[in-house]
Amino acid sequence: MEKLTQKDNLPSSTQFSEFWRKFKKNRMGLVGLVMLAAITFVAVFAPLIAPHRSSSILNVGVSDIYKAPSAQHIFGTDDAGADVFTNFIYGARVSLTVGFFAAFISIVIGGVLGIVAGFFGGRVENILMRFTDIMLVIPDLPLMVVIVALTKPSLLNIIFVIGLLGWTTTARMVRSQTLAVKSRKFVLRARAIGSSQFHIIRRHIFPLVTPILVVQAVLVVSLAVLNESTLSFLGLGDPTVLSWGQMLNYAFGRGAMSTGAWWALVVPGFGIVWVVLGLTLLGQGLEQVLNPRLDTHHLMPGRPNVKSTSVALSRNETQPASGKSLLEVQNLSVNYVTEGQLSARAVESVSFTLKEGELIGLVGESGCGKTTLMLALLQLLPSAGQIVNGQVLFGGRDLTTLSDDEMNTVRWSEISIVFQGAMNALNPVRSVGDQIAEAIKKHLTGFPSDKISTRVVELLDLVGIAADHKDHFPHQYSGGMRQRAMIAMALACNPQIIIADEPTTALDVMIQAQILELLNSLRTKLGLAIIFVTHDLGVVAEMCDRVLVMYGGVTAEYADVDIIYNEAKHPYTQELLKAFPDLTRPKKKLSSIPGYPPRLDALPAGCRFAPRCPVVFERCHQEQPSLHQMDGNRHIASCHLLEASK
Amino acid sequence: MFVLVLNFFLFRVLPGDPARAGVHDPRLKKDSIEAIRVRFGLDKPVINCFETLNPIKLGSCDINPLDTQFFIYLKNLVTGELGISYHTNRPVATVLAERLWNTVLLIGAGQILSITVGAFFGVFAAWKARTAIDYGALATSLVVWSLPTFWLGIILLFWGSANGLPIGGKATPGMSSAPLMQQWGDIARHMILPTVTYTIVYMGEYMLIMRSSLMDVLSEDYILTAKAKGLGVFQILRDHALKNAMLPLVTIIAINLGFTVAGAIQIETVFSWPGLGGAIFEAVNRRDFPVLQGAFLLIAVTVIVANLIADLTYSYLDPRVHTE
Ligand code: SF4
Repeated sequence: MEKLTQKDNLPSSTQFSEFWRKFKKNRMGLVGLVMLAAITFVAVFAPLIAPHRSSSILNVGVSDIYKAPSAQHIFGTDDAGADVFTNFIYGARVSLTVGFFAAFISIVIGGVLGIVAGFFGGRVENILMRFTDIMLVIPDLPLMVVIVALTKPSLLNIIFVIGLLGWTTTARMVRSQTLAVKSRKFVLRARAIGSSQFHIIRRHIFPLVTPILVVQAVLVVSLAVLNESTLSFLGLGDPTVLSWGQMLNYAFGRGAMSTGAWWALVVPGFGIVWVVLGLTLLGQGLEQVLNPRLDTHHLMPGRPNVKSTSVALSRNETQPASGKSLLEVQNLSVNYVTEGQLSARAVESVSFTLKEGELIGLVGESGCGKTTLMLALLQLLPSAGQIVNGQVLFGGRDLTTLSDDEMNTVRWSEISIVFQGAMNALNPVRSVGDQIAEAIKKHLTGFPSDKISTRVVELLDLVGIAADHKDHFPHQYSGGMRQRAMIAMALACNPQIIIADEPTTALDVMIQAQILELLNSLRTKLGLAIIFVTHDLGVVAEMCDRVLVMYGGVTAEYADVDIIYNEAKHPYTQELLKAFPDLTRPKKKLSSIPGYPPRLDALPAGCRFAPRCPVVFERCHQEQPSLHQMDGNRHIASCHLLEASK
Repeated sequence: MFVLVLNFFLFRVLPGDPARAGVHDPRLKKDSIEAIRVRFGLDKPVINCFETLNPIKLGSCDINPLDTQFFIYLKNLVTGELGISYHTNRPVATVLAERLWNTVLLIGAGQILSITVGAFFGVFAAWKARTAIDYGALATSLVVWSLPTFWLGIILLFWGSANGLPIGGKATPGMSSAPLMQQWGDIARHMILPTVTYTIVYMGEYMLIMRSSLMDVLSEDYILTAKAKGLGVFQILRDHALKNAMLPLVTIIAINLGFTVAGAIQIETVFSWPGLGGAIFEAVNRRDFPVLQGAFLLIAVTVIVANLIADLTYSYLDPRVHTE
């Protein structure tokens, strides 16, 4: 135990206290630590705790053998008439000693080999890793059995054999961590200023490899304890030392089974399980703290939508002047809820209307709640997301009140979505055509099955992908093709609305233009309504009808596209426009807005744009601006300036 | 190749040399010793240029390299000839072959069960992540992982013998004259306890791997796509998640197949199951080196074949492998 804490201490004491603060919250790790502390305590103070001085064979009568548990021998006696509980306590010493020392050997070898291989690379790495691979495929236990059996059975031999065979996983993990660390900036800098390699390893690499070593150490100890007990049980242990495995060996081999002396078999095994379980829990706990992973995924049930009915829904501001509205979003608010923390208000009171065949641009920097809003429309929020207010009216229904099954009939067949970065949006192990066909099979139930493949080809043709690519897999497609394939898939069930969530980011400019062109032509050809999400106001200018600018989860400005371009009222929109190259004045300097959008868990008290706003004034810091309507509903914006000018 | 060479020398470097152990029996006459040495091929030099295995002491290099133990070993390997057991005087290949089938029977049943059960609970735990079901499954698998195989065997044996299950061996003595159906039934009854032990011990690991692998897959973008496509939970799991999540499991299973022999040693000892693990254990105690050498060769071959199968399965499951 002390060994572990010391290792942790190495980087710096503040880091350690930070680590300890997190570790204290990890129940698994704590339980493991307590279990280990208890058994270590027992082992250290064995002479004080043990009721009988160890197995002295003084006048043992036949009647003393395998005596059932009693007040005098709480766990009975063994085959030699010795007290099982006493032997159990002393056995802890042996098992723990072997475990720690063997693991120490493994960790040192594995750590050194891993760091050397990872750091020096090239030939050295090749040879060392080849060697490790070979050692890895050799099954340990049979080899241990053979070696231990054929050498003198002593505790030292067992420690060495277990230690020398148990380093392979450590070496591999340390190597990959070293590789990852090696190319970090500060290491490269240290190299550049000519620090010696030893110095770099000691000061820069080792501290970052330490966490892995600690976790590995804990796991290797548990394996060593298991291996020792197995070897001893097989009768290959040191006959002069009574470890738990040895106790089991004697009991099993000398008739405990037939005499029904369960205590002689259960008690030592319990010790092994206790130690190994304690170590495993500690290892898992450490791993979780040092290497946290988000334990969430897309199939976890979302939070039920809770809507405070107190907020009256006035069919309000955004009522369109003309045209049939397809989708109406009213006062939609989404929170991200984390246990024990304030909910983050990711989207607040956003309203907009989409008419048939219309293209709306949803603009804002990343982190402004655009994607959250889109996912909320389709009830696809991650499990922490919760709709806390508002309505999504589509086809006479409020989508926020539908069950998951009902929602599944709307998804894709009515509203489909093209995600950002189609690299991972397509399943890598299924062919593209297959994935498109899947959507058709799911939603167009009456579709003749022999026509599906023709339909898939048709769809691919529509987005400009040749038919012979149908059976290819996503990794065989280029980035642009994948994005088109996604669009083809989105079109598969003739939806009325397509949500395109930044479909062109991560693509080069030429491809971007093609994709935009494609979407726009599909809109006119198929009469689609499109919500186009982007951080680039320039993209929107050419094709959108209306533009909704979001900042920090709220509506900044919402108006027809030419109003946005010519009479933007919100300072954020104005700043975005400045960042957009003006073709008529190519020499004008492009400016980007300094700073970043606010973090959702630390929103400013007043206007969310206040920290970055060039025309910020007193009131902005205290009060959140409300939406102001201009031009009779056709133009709304949220800024205190507008009120002042009225 | 490396494994083959290592295998050969390992059993000649280790103390308790077969020749010395078996041959230095004072009761044997000089010429019968010589006869034994010839029979086991121990009269030949181990390898040319090295007189003994002490590498410092160089031997004569005049010896025909084709007439050394090493070369004969290699030649025999090619022809599938594994030598003769010191102990039983029967060909190693025959001894191992009958033992191998018993182990394959046991490991096969145990692996299939533990993979099925483990993967099932792993999928369930991942799907119901962060619920009581998940935590329960997690706790169970950690406990199960911590159980020493042999101890679990003992405990089950204890419980089984109290409930009338056979406590060891592969068949009840005298069964060989019974009708075939009855013989099979008898073997099956003998298999219950060892197989259950095996299943429990390996289940935990498979569960943990399946869970974490599926958790990774389920947080991928394409699962969100599948959900947006309006597919139901079961369809997503079946058509989009399972195949992808199986990939890491395949590798682990292949690696495990080699290591299961380790588990087999423990289980076969506890239940006196006449398999390969038991054979290794007995051979160690009897210093029956040809058997050990053969057994290790078999393990090595198993590991290599298992890895090959894993690679093939992998490329079958993952289209990215064979096109790159
Ligand atoms: S309310 Fe104030 S801070 Fe916010 S955009 Fe308007 S002027 Fe800027």
